[in-house]
Parts: sequence; structure tokens; C-alpha cells
Amino acid sequence: MATQEINDDRIALLQGTLDLLILKTLVLGPCHGQGVARLIQRQSEDVFLVDHGSLYVALQRLEDKEWIRAKWGVSDNNRKARFYSLTPRGREQLVEKTSEWRRLTRAMGLILDTGVEPQGEEA
Amino acid sequence: MFRRRRSAQDFAEEIKAHLELEADDLESEGLSADEARWRARREFGNIRAAQERFYMKGRWAWLDKMWRDLRFGFRSLRQSPGFAATAILTLALGIGANTAVFSVMNAVLLKSLPVADPDRVVYLRTTNPPHGTGTVNSTETISYPVYDALRQQVRGLSPVMAYVPLSGSKVAVRIGAQPEEAEGDMVSGTFFSGLGVNLPRGRGFTEQDETNHAPIAVISYNYWTRRFARDPAVLGRTLYVNSLPMTIVGVSAEGFEGVEDGGSTDFWIPLQNRPELNAWGAPPEDGKTYIANPTWWCLRMIGRLAPGVTRAQAIAQLQPVFQTAAYVGLGSPPKNTKPPVLSFVDAKGFAGNDDVYGKPLRMLMAMVGLVLLIALMNVVMLLLARNATRQREFSLRQALGAGRGELLRQLLTESLILVAAGGALAWGFAVMATRLLGRWAQIESSLAPDKTVLLFTLAVLVCAALLFGVAPLRIALAGRAELALKTSAATSNADAGKSLTGRIIVALQMALCVVLLVGGGLLIRTLRNLENTPLGMNVDGLVVFGVKPNIPSIPEGVAFYVNLMNNLRVLPGVESVTVMEERIGSWWSDNSDMMVDGRLPDVASGASRTVRSNIAGPDFFRTLGVPILAGRDFADSDTASSPHVGIINEEFAKRFLPNQNPLGHTTGLDNGQYTMTIVGVVKNHKYRSIDEEPIPMAWYMYAQIPMVGPMHVEMRVHGEPLAILPAARKVVQQLDPNLPLIRPMTQRAQYDLTISHQTLFARLAGFFGVLAVVLVATGLYGTLAYRVNMRTAEIGVRMAVGAGRGQVVWMILKDSLLLTVAGVMMGVPLAMLVGRALASSLYGVKPLDAASYLLAVVGVAVVALAASALPAGRAASIDPMKALRTE
Repeated sequence: MATQEINDDRIALLQGTLDLLILKTLVLGPCHGQGVARLIQRQSEDVFLVDHGSLYVALQRLEDKEWIRAKWGVSDNNRKARFYSLTPRGREQLVEKTSEWRRLTRAMGLILDTGVEPQGEEA
Repeated sequence: MFRRRRSAQDFAEEIKAHLELEADDLESEGLSADEARWRARREFGNIRAAQERFYMKGRWAWLDKMWRDLRFGFRSLRQSPGFAATAILTLALGIGANTAVFSVMNAVLLKSLPVADPDRVVYLRTTNPPHGTGTVNSTETISYPVYDALRQQVRGLSPVMAYVPLSGSKVAVRIGAQPEEAEGDMVSGTFFSGLGVNLPRGRGFTEQDETNHAPIAVISYNYWTRRFARDPAVLGRTLYVNSLPMTIVGVSAEGFEGVEDGGSTDFWIPLQNRPELNAWGAPPEDGKTYIANPTWWCLRMIGRLAPGVTRAQAIAQLQPVFQTAAYVGLGSPPKNTKPPVLSFVDAKGFAGNDDVYGKPLRMLMAMVGLVLLIALMNVVMLLLARNATRQREFSLRQALGAGRGELLRQLLTESLILVAAGGALAWGFAVMATRLLGRWAQIESSLAPDKTVLLFTLAVLVCAALLFGVAPLRIALAGRAELALKTSAATSNADAGKSLTGRIIVALQMALCVVLLVGGGLLIRTLRNLENTPLGMNVDGLVVFGVKPNIPSIPEGVAFYVNLMNNLRVLPGVESVTVMEERIGSWWSDNSDMMVDGRLPDVASGASRTVRSNIAGPDFFRTLGVPILAGRDFADSDTASSPHVGIINEEFAKRFLPNQNPLGHTTGLDNGQYTMTIVGVVKNHKYRSIDEEPIPMAWYMYAQIPMVGPMHVEMRVHGEPLAILPAARKVVQQLDPNLPLIRPMTQRAQYDLTISHQTLFARLAGFFGVLAVVLVATGLYGTLAYRVNMRTAEIGVRMAVGAGRGQVVWMILKDSLLLTVAGVMMGVPLAMLVGRALASSLYGVKPLDAASYLLAVVGVAVVALAASALPAGRAASIDPMKALRTE
């Protein structure tokens, strides 16, 4: 059985962040699952590792919540693919989640930036 | 909402598309096609896991899970078909019996009258009718003048409706050429509109129709179906009622068969004033029909509360009017008499049903409730037993990671299957049983289960399903995972075999069984007593039928009957023939105070002066076979012109003419009419019904009183009594081709009708008693057999170390004997309570009848012993080596 190699430069996505990333990616326009994965990976400068299985389950979850909708279509290179796009509700959620995330990172920053910075590798 | 918009296949396709897209991208980044495909797959990770996650999130998953549980349940039930069949059958019997009895109760006691807004409809009831007044029913009927006064008072009841049968039973009608019988009522013009009964075809009556005594009729839906095959052309046809033509103008709504239960009304006509259509089919008294007779309280009344009026207000409105009207034409009320009082009775159900059927039905409901309890206990025990043997299975499943929730779900599913199958079967039983019951009890209104009954049954089923699911769970969970590792039958099953719960249930069941057997026994002995009650006459060989000739004058009426009797007497096989006004054994009687020697007789204070009288023809007592103690029978020579003669019974003589020869004294009505000289004294015999007590009786000679109407003909014949009927019919129709024989039957059958309720009640009670015994026996056998099974290893060990067969058998029997004793100890006091509650339904047997109790106890003991003997025998024949090797 093949075991997944973990590239040390990549970080496994935190719980809950994937939804936000998907929504953000789709702001740019409709896109299929594989494209979403690639975009996230590329835009995070290959820091994020997107587990493809989780991605599709997350897409389905968002679709069930009606934040995104999906339609079968044809990709640039003429392959059949399921294209996702944001719904108005999805847009609202994106705004909300983004500001939530901002507050979170700011708070994290405040805590982590005070005092002495740890030297060396990450914990 | 519950359906996922996407199929799992669609999801799989998307993943496939992803792999292709990814491979394309990788290829464009410079990998070879093969490597690109491989990398794409590898990067995706576990495809199956993703699909599974997709699937588990699906809303169909729970359904699929349930489907799997169901299949698993079926499989595991199929592995023990005996258990499944027993459980399902037990449930079906228990629940079916309850559904059937409840559905009868619902139809007879709980269902509202099929009228609009039944809460506002009331029956009118009276007490203390004026002195000298004859009533048809002492509390339910009033006279026409009183009705006329009440209906003017529209602020209390609006409207007040009168209805009265055209006959005590059925009335002669004709549609085609052949005379037939039907049940018909005369009613107020406001009857249909006031009750709010729809007439989907034709019209109802108007007040105008009542005033004009219009010759029109409305027929019931049932009669329309039965007699006219729902012919839409029935409107406008002629229905001859006692030879008078009535035009059919309407068909009533389906389900409406009158406002009295017991029979179903076939047709209604507006209140009439013709002597042929007198109330109750009675001959006019002194030429007066019910309309002109203030002393004959014969109309039944029902009313609708006027809008916005409460019952109390309506009563207050009507009471003074009623009390005045009651004495109109009778002078002022004598002093010290209680004034007549008007009251209302809920018309929510059928009036009178509660008196007749209420008590027996509630008793039956309680009985079948007990049967159900026994049945449920049985199934619980079976389940406990079955699941105890599966304890290792449960432990193993828990050890393999099944949660308690899953075990519960599995148990619930199995119980659901059992309950659903049992319930479906029960419904079938109930539908069949109610049909049979209806025929048996001669209740013509429909008893079939309806929506209310369905709800009741479903409620019972749900309770049962929950009970069966939860009860065994305790056992299932008690076997913890580590138990699976204990593989010895001797240890892992030992506790289950001695479960305290099981013992308590068995003892309780036996207690309930004792109760049911005692109840059934008491009622069956009651029935025996009733059936064997001497009637005081020889009913075998007697046949009776009614005739209702058209009688223009009294001499012509007498002549008709003289002719009829003479013509019947000469028929071959006929021994003697007589006539009577009221058919004996039909619940009818004419009750009044009578004068003796010109004054009301003295009686001990508190004793009743009431005399039952009847009007009879020549050879009356010889025909019936009632012994004449002194004097003579009526004879053909007693005519209108000869001295008027009467006959009394022993009780009359004893009460009103004690210690003297009654012959030669006179008796007559308390208003001085119809005085006659006593020429005979006959032995007491049953008159109205089998279970009546002796009461003073007097008989008038029919040819000597100024009233001749419909009569019943009694014939004593050789051989089969009913065989004479065709010849008798010919004789009657030679005299008048329009006359049907009314309710022809043997006199024995007529008397049996008076105990038909008791008969039905006793048979059903007996049946449920037997059913309980069968259930208890199967339950007991099942439980005991299972316990012995559980102890196979233990018994093997005991026998291996030297226990004899006898000892083993005793060990098993002792156990069930102890349980029997406990059950009987609980059951007997309970049965005594039930016996006391039954007391009023018993005849000739005491609530503490020792024989019934003894039989019940012996019955239960025999069942218990028989059910234990088999498993005990099996236990004793265990080969110790084999038993120990079952490991």
C-alpha cells in the first residue's frame, strides 16, 4: 500500500479553513474541484497541502448548505468537469468568514509577537 | 428535502474527472502520461475513503441502514421460525381480540349519532308520568299533547322532534306484489332538518308534511341498498305501509339508520293520524289513535338545543310547560303525587345502548385487556429467552465494536418486524371477528373497525414495539464484551435460566389466567342456568308468528281470528292453536295496577301492585303446556256475549287473594274498565323473558274486550315446528293476500332471544378465558423449555455426579409448581374482585362460586404441569456425556 509522503514544506490545512479558501477561490469565477485545489496550492505558494478527498467532501458540504452551486461543464482542455460557483449566500459567508479569520490572525499575532521570539524551528 | 440531489455515482464521476484533469496538468508540467496518472491518483489519497465520507453524509444513509437492519432482523428471525411464528400469532390473537372488542365498543358506545353537531342534540327523558297513564317505556316516552306543547317552546329546544315506531318490531310493507316486513318510524316534520341529516337524493319532510300527514316516505341508505339495489329511480315509487300507499321522496345519508340503536330504521313517514298507522302498531283505544290520547305516553323525543342556550336554561324553559301539559285532559294532579319531571340525556351515543351493552362491553374490554397483557408478557418472555441465548452473539458484536445504540436499533427492528406482522394479522382477525359478532349479537349497525379503532390499534402496536425492543436490551447489555470470551455454556447461560423477571412474569400470567377463567366460568354457569331455567311450560313443538290484519270493526276482527284459528287447527300435524296480543318471550308486557273485587287490593307496604296482563285466545294454556291449578282454560264458548272471564297466575292469587279460593272473584283495570270474573288459576311461568322473577299476571279473553288489533298466533304441532309455516302462510293469505307472517319462529328461539346478550357475553368471556389459557400454556411451555435448555449442561453435570432421573424431573417440576402456587395466590383475590364486579350479570350463581374457582385453579395447575412435564422429561433423558460435550 502506498503511503502518502509528507512534504515538510507543506502545512496540513487547519480544520475549517478549507471552506474559507474554497469560497475565496470561487470569487474569481466558476471553477472545478481540481482547479480549486491547484489554485489554493499555487496561491499559498505551495505551502498548503490540499487533501483532494477532503476537498470534494467539503465542496459537497458547501453545496448542501447552498453557499455554492455546481454544474457539469467542459474544461479548457475539453474534459468533462463539475464547475462550482458562489451563490449570494456564499458571498455573504465569505465576507463574514474573512473578517472572522482576520480577527483570529490578528489576535494570534498579538500574542505571538509579544515577548521573546522563539529561535529555531517551529514547535 | 430528504433526498440528496446527487447520486454517489455522480460523485465518483467527479473524482474520475479530477484525476484526468490533474493528470493533464501534470503531463503538461513534463511528466510522462503513465507517471502523471499515477501521481494524480497518489495525490488524491484514498478515493474510497472520500466516497465513503460522501456516502455517510448522504441523507439516504439512515434509510439504507434501516434496510440493512431490517434484512438482518428478517434473517435472524428466520433462524428461529418457531419463535417468530409463536410471537406473531400470540400478538395477533391478543391485539386482534382487543381491536375487535374495542371496535364494537366504539361503534356501540362511543360513536356519536350520525347527525350534525351531535353535542347540541339531547334525548328527552321523563319521570313520574301522571296516574292512569300508560307508557311504552316509563322514562323515555311522552304523549302527543305533551309533544305538541313542548314544540311550541322554541326558545329552549329548537326543534323538538318526536319519533315513534310503526310497530314493536317490523311493519308489513309491500313494494311489488309480495307482502314483506320493514322497520319504519313516524317522525316530526322537522326530523331530518332538525337533526341535520343530509338527504343526498330527494328531500326530507317539512312541518307542512306533518300537519297534512302527507303520504310520503324517506328510506334509509341501507334499505335503498338492500331492497332497491341503489336504483336511482326509487324516488316516486310507492311503498305500501299496512296497505296504505306512501310515495318515496328521499333517501337518507349513508350511515343514518335512525336515532335508536339495536335495529336499523328502513323508512320514515311523517306523523300520521290513520288508525292503521297508530303508534307502535297498537290498535286504537276506544277508536282513538295516539294523537287524541293524552294517557298513552308513546312518543320518543329528541331535541336540538336552541342556539346560545345551555341545557340548564332549556330545561328551565320547558319544565313548567311540560308539567302543565302532562295533566292536560286529566284534571288536576291528585295531592301527594310527585310532579312529572323532564330531563335531558346526552345524544352523543345511542341512547339505551349504554344500559344494554355498556356493562358487558366494558367487562369484555377489561377481559381482552388482560388477554393482551398475557400475550405481551408471553412475547416479552419469548424475547428474553431468545435474547438470553443470544447473549454471546451480543457480547461478540459489542466486542467487535458495535455500540449500544446499534444493539438497541437491531432489537427495535426485530420487534418492529414482529409487531408489524402481528398487527397486520390482528387487523384481519378483528375485521372477521366484528363481522361475526355483529351477526351473532344481531346488531344491525356496522361494527367494522374505523379510523378511531385504527388509531387505537396503532397505539397498542407502538407500545408493544417499544416494550419488546427495550425489555431485552437489558439482557443484551448485561452481557459485556468480555463475556464473549467465556465460552462455557454452563457459566455464560446459568444466570439467564434463573432470571427473576421471567419468574415474576410467569407467576403474574398465571394470576391473570385464574382471573379470566373464574370470570369466564361464572358467566358460562350463568348461561347454563339461564338455558336450563324451567319456563313453566312446554315450549318444544311450539311455533309462533304475528299477523296484522286490516280490521274495520271489532266483530269483524274477532271473526277474522276465529276463522284463522279454525282453518289452522285442521292443518295436518297441528295439535292446538291459540292467539295472544303480546308475544310471550319478546320483552313485551302490559303493566298496570288492577282492581280486585272492585277496589285496589291491599298489599304489604312497599310491595308492588303491578300486574302484567295479556290478551289471549281459547286453549291458551293448553297450547302452551302451562298447568292449570284450578278452574279452566279460555274456550271457544267464551264470546263477547257470554260472561266476561279472566285467568290469573299463582302469584296474583297469592298476593291479592291470599288464603281464599280466587275463582269467582273479579278483577279489572284500575279505571273500572274490562272487569272480568276469574275462572282459572295457572301455574307461574315465564312471560317476558327467561330471567324474570314471578310477578302477578292476568289474562283477558280476546273476544270479550273492545279492542282487537294485530295478534300473535301460537301453534302446537307434531314434529318439526317450523315445517308447518308454509301451510300456515297459505291459510293466512287465503284470508287476506296482503298479510305476511310477522317474525315466524319457534317459541324456544323466541325465548332464547331474551338471553341473547347473556349468551353472547358468556360465550365471548368463555372464549377469551380459553384463549388466555392457550396463551399462558404456550408461554409457560416456551419459558420452561428454554430454561431447561439453558440448564442442559448443569443437568448433565448433576446426572454425571449421580443425580437420578426422578430428582431431575422433580427439580424442574418443583420450580413450576412454586410459580403456580404464587400465581394462584395472587389470582384468587383478584378473581374475587372481578366476581363482585360481575355480580349483576350473573344468574343463579354466586360471585364466590366455589366450583368456578376450583376449576380455574385446577385448570391453571394442569396447564402449568403439562407445560413443565415435557421439558422435565426431556431434561431427565439427557445423556450426561452428551450434555457436557455440547460445549
